[in-house]
This record gives sequence, structure tokens and C-alpha cells, in this order.
Amino acid sequence: MKTAIVSAFVMFGVAIVISMAVAALIKVLFLVVRRLNQEGK
Amino acid sequence: MHLHDLLNIFQGVTSLFDSSWPILLGRITLMLLGMVLVYLGKKGILEPLLMIPMGIGMSAVNAGVLFLDPVTAAAVTEAPVATGVATHGTLMMAPLVQKTDNLMYILQIDFLQPIYTFAFSNGLIACLVFMGIGVLLDVGFVLARPFLSMFLALCAELGTVATFPIAVAMGLNYREAASIAMVGGADGPMVLFTSLTLAKELFVPITVVAYLYLGLTYGGYPYLIRALVPAKLRGLKMPPHPIVKVTSDEKLAFAVVGCTVLCLLFPSAAPLFLSLFVGVAVREAGLSYFVAFIDGPVLYGATMFLGLLLGVLCEASTILNPKVLILLVLGILALLLSGIGGIIGGYLAYFFSGRKINPVIGIAGVSCVPSTAKVAQKEVSKVTADSIILPEALGANISGVITTAILTGIYVTIIPLLK
Repeated sequence: MKTAIVSAFVMFGVAIVISMAVAALIKVLFLVVRRLNQEGK
Repeated sequence: MHLHDLLNIFQGVTSLFDSSWPILLGRITLMLLGMVLVYLGKKGILEPLLMIPMGIGMSAVNAGVLFLDPVTAAAVTEAPVATGVATHGTLMMAPLVQKTDNLMYILQIDFLQPIYTFAFSNGLIACLVFMGIGVLLDVGFVLARPFLSMFLALCAELGTVATFPIAVAMGLNYREAASIAMVGGADGPMVLFTSLTLAKELFVPITVVAYLYLGLTYGGYPYLIRALVPAKLRGLKMPPHPIVKVTSDEKLAFAVVGCTVLCLLFPSAAPLFLSLFVGVAVREAGLSYFVAFIDGPVLYGATMFLGLLLGVLCEASTILNPKVLILLVLGILALLLSGIGGIIGGYLAYFFSGRKINPVIGIAGVSCVPSTAKVAQKEVSKVTADSIILPEALGANISGVITTAILTGIYVTIIPLLK
């Protein structure tokens, strides 16, 4: 039971880190592609 | 003609009375339940696209049980023919057969076995549905406000995370607990994928429970919203947000890079990520013929066969498992906790934004695309007709698909390592 609770916290922690990294990736990509598009024009 | 010969003609009836009491009652109950599902699907209370094929499949498989000949019985039970095992069975599907020789034999007998073996048990059908979902998703809503969308989606995973230790406390092993906890993610294909990967012996009841409950979110979540968010806050009008125009190039770049990074992190869930993002990429690349193909024949064909196979899998002898009652309780608990978690996320966004964000958008973090976003907008419109939250709600909704896929990847990677 203790293992299950600790694992749940660990897995949620990993999910938070990865999801926020994906959000940051989205933001960075968005800015990079926008800049590239503007330079191309 | 003897009475024995006459009874042999109506094997569906004779096999019914030849069964043990639990199986007899189970078969009759499941036949009736199948009919109820068709009725509820037709009335629109449950999702008709899934419930109508599932309901009729459930009724038919429990009615069409016969006495198998010794060779087929031996293949189904995986016992040697010499033992002369006599057993009941159907001519539809034998989901528990594992040995290659027996499987090859059954593939030539049971009419749905080819679809089950080549498209269901390897997760292909779940991936095809996911591809269809990808084509329907407009990731522009996520790209416009990625951090808010992801935050709300993470809060709405409360059920997926909290149900896992609760399920372990209720006697399930780690693999079974993780599979039923995935119901909290409110994404049918991912529940199917996780249970096939982690708990193959329980994937039938888990998937059936998941799809039954997912059909109820549209009817149940409005009550949860009304219970947890007062009318004054439900009607809150969000200040007009500058419209961020996201081009298809930006969406395509996100699909390609996002898919590659997630596959790199979680190779075991790579089929799901690839299926989702190939749908997004096809849409954003403007491949209209592919979009029409995936959006139509692939998505609807996969959904129909998914419903039919789930129904046919509900044969009394397969589904009657002492753990089904626990799964029923845990499934509803997972969805309830996810809904509550989503609304807590909505409240946090409301307070941190200086009371500008409508807390109802939190429920849209539960990734039942697009049902929960539509439910959120409907509940808000009931209080303030001109309050529009749909763009933000869809952003959270689509992020919910991504966070559920991430949690699926984490579960199928980490759970097998737990001792």
C-alpha cells in the first residue's frame, strides 16, 4: 500500500514535469516557427 | 425423433439450462442488459455509435451459446483432444486462446476471431480510433495558451493518479490497479491500450466498464459542476482575450516535434502517440483525401467494430469475474475524482488569474473530447447566455488527451518495474 501511494506521487510528479516541458516546448516552437516565417517573408 | 435430438436443435436454450446457476443468471442478465444498452443508445442517453453495436453483440453472444464439438472444444480450452473436454462456446470469438495452433484453428471457425486477433488484441483498433481523434483535434487552442491548458488537464488527472493506490488497497495487483485507474483519464482507447498491456486477463471487464462510464460523463458531469460551482461563478464572463492566430505550419511543427519527443521518452506508448499525431499532421498538412479517409471510414469503422467486439467479449463465462464489482466501483470513483480535480484546477486558475478565468473550464481538462468542453460551455450558457468559454475549454480538453497519453506512457513503463 505504501509503495502504491509513493509510486502514485512519483508518477504524478513525472507527469507534471513532462506535461509542463511539453507546454514549454509548444511555446518555444511557436515562437521559433513564427520568427522563421517572418524572416522568410 | 427423440427428445434429445429435438433439444440438440435448440442448443442456445439447452446450453442455458445445462449451465451452472451463476452462468445461467449471468447470460440472461447480459442478454437483457444488451437490449437496455441499445435502447439507451437510441435515446441518446449513452453514446449510440458505441452502445448500439455493443448492446446487440452482448445480447447475441449470450444467446448464441452451443455445445462445441470435441476438436473445437479442445482448441478453445487449450486442452488435448484426447481428454474429450466438452464445453459450451460460441461461433463468434474465443478471446482467451493463446497457443498458435489453436489460434489458427479458431481463426477458421469463429467469424470475429480475425478482427479480434489482428486488430483488437494488439491495440490496433484503439490506435485507429486515436488517429481519428487526431484528425478532429485543432491543436491551435492548446498552442494559444499551453501552460493554462496543460495545468487544467493535469488537475483533471486526479482520478487517474488517486485511484491507483485505492485500487491496490481494495485488493487489486499493481497492473490491474493501474489499468482501472486509467478510466480517470476518460479516454477509451487509452484504457484499452493500458489494460491490454498490463492486465490482459482483466481487459474485457475493465474496457467495458470504461466505455459504459464514459458514455455517462455527458449526463453526470453537469450535476457535478452545479454541485461544486455556484451559479454566480458559473456565469462569470471572461474578459476578451487577444485572439492568437496559429498557422497550420506552427501546428504541424508541434505535431512532428511533440510526437518525436514523446516517443523518445515513452517508447512503450509510441503507437498511441504516433496515431494521435499522425492524425494532427495529416489535418494540418492539408491532405484532404487522407483527412476524409481517417475521419470517415477509419474512425467510424474502428468505432463500430470496437463496439461490436466489446459486446461480443461480454459473454457470461468470460466477464463473470469476482473482481468486476470492484472494477465498477473504482471506475466511477476514478471519473468522479477526475471531475473534482478538474474543477479544483478551474478554481486555482480563477484565483491566480485575479478572478478572471471561469472555474467551469476546469472540467474540460477531463479528456473526453469534445464532450466535456461542450458540457462546460452548456452549463455556463445556462447562467449567462453570452459568456463564451469554449476556446479555453477546448484547449484544456485537447491537453487532457496529451496528459492522459503521457500518464499511459508512465504507467506502462513504470508499473511493470514495481515489485
